[in-house]
Amino acid sequence: MDNGIVMTVANLIRDILMLVLGNEFIVSLIMKFIGIGALLGAISGAAIAFTYTERKVCAFVQVRLGPNRVGPMGLLQPIADMLKLMTKEDIIPNGVDRVVWALAPILLFVPSALAYAFFPFDDGAIFADVNVGIFLLIAISSQSVLTFLMGGYASNSKYGMIGAMRAVATSLAYEAPMVFSLLGIVMLTGSLRMSDIVTVQGDNVWFIVLQPIAFLIYITTCMAETNRTPFDFVECESEIVAGAFTEYSGMRWALFFLAEYANLLSISVLTTTFFLGGWTGPVLPGFVWFWIKTLLMLFVFLWFRWTFPRVRIDQMMSFCWKVLLPLALVNVLLTGVGIYIYRWM
Amino acid sequence: MNEFNDNVAPKTETFVLNMGPQHPSTHGVLRVELDLDGEKVIRVRPIMGYLHRGIEKLLESRTYAQGSPFTDRLDYVSSMNNNYGYCHAVEELCGIEPPPRANYIRAIVAELNRITSHMVFIGSLANDLGAVTGMIYTFRDREEVLDIFDLVCGARQTYNYIRIGGVAQDIPQGFEEKVRKFLDRVPEFMEEYADLLNGNEIFNVRLKEVSVMTKEEALACNMTGPNLRATGVPFDVRKVDGYGAYPEFDFDVPVGENGDNWDRYQVRYKEILESAKIVRQALDGMPEGDFMAKVPKVLKPPKGEIFSRTEGTRGELGFYIVSDGTTKPYRVHIRRPSFISMQGLNPMCRGGLIGDAIAAFASIDPLMGEVDC
Amino acid sequence: MFGKGLLTGMRVTIGHVFGKKVTFCYPEEKLEMTERFRGGHLTMDYKKCIGCQLCAMACPNKALTLKATQDAMKKRHLTSYVHEMGRCLYCNLCVEACPTKTLAWDKNYAISSWHREDMNHQVLTDDDMKYLEKAMEDAKVAAAKKAEADAAKKAEEAAKAANDGGGAAN
Repeated sequence: MDNGIVMTVANLIRDILMLVLGNEFIVSLIMKFIGIGALLGAISGAAIAFTYTERKVCAFVQVRLGPNRVGPMGLLQPIADMLKLMTKEDIIPNGVDRVVWALAPILLFVPSALAYAFFPFDDGAIFADVNVGIFLLIAISSQSVLTFLMGGYASNSKYGMIGAMRAVATSLAYEAPMVFSLLGIVMLTGSLRMSDIVTVQGDNVWFIVLQPIAFLIYITTCMAETNRTPFDFVECESEIVAGAFTEYSGMRWALFFLAEYANLLSISVLTTTFFLGGWTGPVLPGFVWFWIKTLLMLFVFLWFRWTFPRVRIDQMMSFCWKVLLPLALVNVLLTGVGIYIYRWM
Repeated sequence: MNEFNDNVAPKTETFVLNMGPQHPSTHGVLRVELDLDGEKVIRVRPIMGYLHRGIEKLLESRTYAQGSPFTDRLDYVSSMNNNYGYCHAVEELCGIEPPPRANYIRAIVAELNRITSHMVFIGSLANDLGAVTGMIYTFRDREEVLDIFDLVCGARQTYNYIRIGGVAQDIPQGFEEKVRKFLDRVPEFMEEYADLLNGNEIFNVRLKEVSVMTKEEALACNMTGPNLRATGVPFDVRKVDGYGAYPEFDFDVPVGENGDNWDRYQVRYKEILESAKIVRQALDGMPEGDFMAKVPKVLKPPKGEIFSRTEGTRGELGFYIVSDGTTKPYRVHIRRPSFISMQGLNPMCRGGLIGDAIAAFASIDPLMGEVDC
Repeated sequence: MFGKGLLTGMRVTIGHVFGKKVTFCYPEEKLEMTERFRGGHLTMDYKKCIGCQLCAMACPNKALTLKATQDAMKKRHLTSYVHEMGRCLYCNLCVEACPTKTLAWDKNYAISSWHREDMNHQVLTDDDMKYLEKAMEDAKVAAAKKAEADAAKKAEEAAKAANDGGGAAN
């Protein structure tokens, strides 16, 4: 079990700490904090790096060069952006519900950060390998809708209100097919534990082969969950300006922004874990495989975003309820039949 | 009893959403008052005047020749067509006949400008539907035409190239090759747009059978241009009036069937190809000769009035000029097609969702410089 | 249908990811302005200008303000030619109106300025002013010469007339 690079490093640190401190409880505590720090660092680092990635990919798709002024190849651009956003004046519009309004961007970070606890980055490198992993993940990540509602409602703006209402309405529509599409995987694995899902895929075959329908449903609903273009109803620039984020500016807006990229990373990680075999792969160490697959998925999501127009909200809802949900249910049925036949053979 | 019911029954209210004047997809500074029932649009009221510069009044205080730079600022993505409309009106008023070469040059630049304008339309429609990439591609290809215009008249947007009696300067060296090179590229990038947008399922469901405008409604709103043709009326001033060199060219007038967003998009899409056809014919048959008729330095049209119309990119562009025999027009009125098409916004958007209203608005292709004048 | 169009669109966009980019890195590479480019400051060949004010009259927005003086030889010289760029439409009507084709654009597109006053551009250069001074001096000299010549001529004529008159009287 404990043979990944990350785990080896962690064990090394743990051994050194044991030598220095000697008390197992304190060492465990310190190790937990190191883990949390590493995760938060990964989230914010990835979010900042992804702003650059997104801008570059977007530019390349649009026959442009993208940021290329700050630092070599514009690599320092996200840092300059963050500095700019942090030094901006903090504007609180008149008539907002101040407590809820101020709380929304901070709270949005909680579900996006919490979801990272369940990601199997490498063999054994999972912060909380609980036995209800998928269930907890879905439960936590669907909470982000609440903060959109808070932000949009408290903004006292009509655009914000429409954006918030859209977030709630669509979340109902996409959560159901998403959960049902993952049910097939749970049936195949026989476990809700994240590490089990990856190990099963490593031992047999990636689930994208066994569950192609579920894969398509999952990435479709994922785009809805991260509010990206084919389904970006919460933000929806050309219709409701910036939706729930309309009244936010400066650092508060940046928090929304960072959470969006954290979510983007998390859906890439999840797609990798559920369908592409997570850290498993030949020759290269697991950690590297994991990141290769994740970045590939990330590119696919960016590619979708910069190619497709936006679906209208009622079309998206009817698509989710009338097409994706029945498909997901059929997929569950087919998976069950397949398992039965497999065992019978 | 009624009061009691009112208190118990769930009651919904409509609310008014002010879209604009600062809004990402109002193409400038239009304000639209949307009466909304949730997401559903009950009524749309366009409120304009945020870009009013009084161009009609400005034209009245300038001499006839000084007027043409101001018509550039009407519909600023197809300035050539505005120049053409104004100069055509003044020529009819004074009885000036532009030489055939001038007419051919005018047709070339006007049709090239129609292509760029429709490219902007496709781009902004794609942008309003969320496909930002489509907009970048169309603007990339539009640059080529702007380079040609830069070569011809030294400006990229406000050309002031077509003048009373002809054109400002003869076409320069290297113009023809550049235009031909561009024309050869037209099918290539049109196919690219088709691949990116036309076949796209999302694009299709967003536009098809949405914001339908019937033939009767469009005529009642006095719509012209592509918006009218999308409903199935083959009305094109270039064909009907046959002004300039247009009767000598062979081109079709694309029409739609249903008058929905998709037809409005398709009509313009096909018009780009037709315009390219016209430009090619004009280049092939370009006559030699003067590019400017004999126009007196101080133009004093006879007393009288004229209404002259040309086919602008957005519809029938009319100039009504009253002359009192002096060097300045007594009254100028401009029939701006965008302004008139805006009337169709309410019947189009009623009953749709906010997203449909945006799509309908983009599909009318109004330009605020022309709406407010 | 069924995602074919979506895939075609994705093929188009992925093609551009690895294709050639069209961005022009501005300060490093600069576009060549075309021969007919209208923009920037007006320039003029001072020697050719006859101070006729036709450019100012052709301007639709009265963006040109000319001040002229007459030298001793009754020839008009400009003392100031202000181009108010804030009012200018860049319509080229002034350049076309010039009877001696002395006006031109300098094709400098970087004309933004901090203050509104900076937009009132004086077309005449210091060299032009020196030329003006010289021309005025020359004209004065020429006028003096001419006056001398005239005076001499007059005197001659007067003498002649006197002679003639004397002759007649005689």
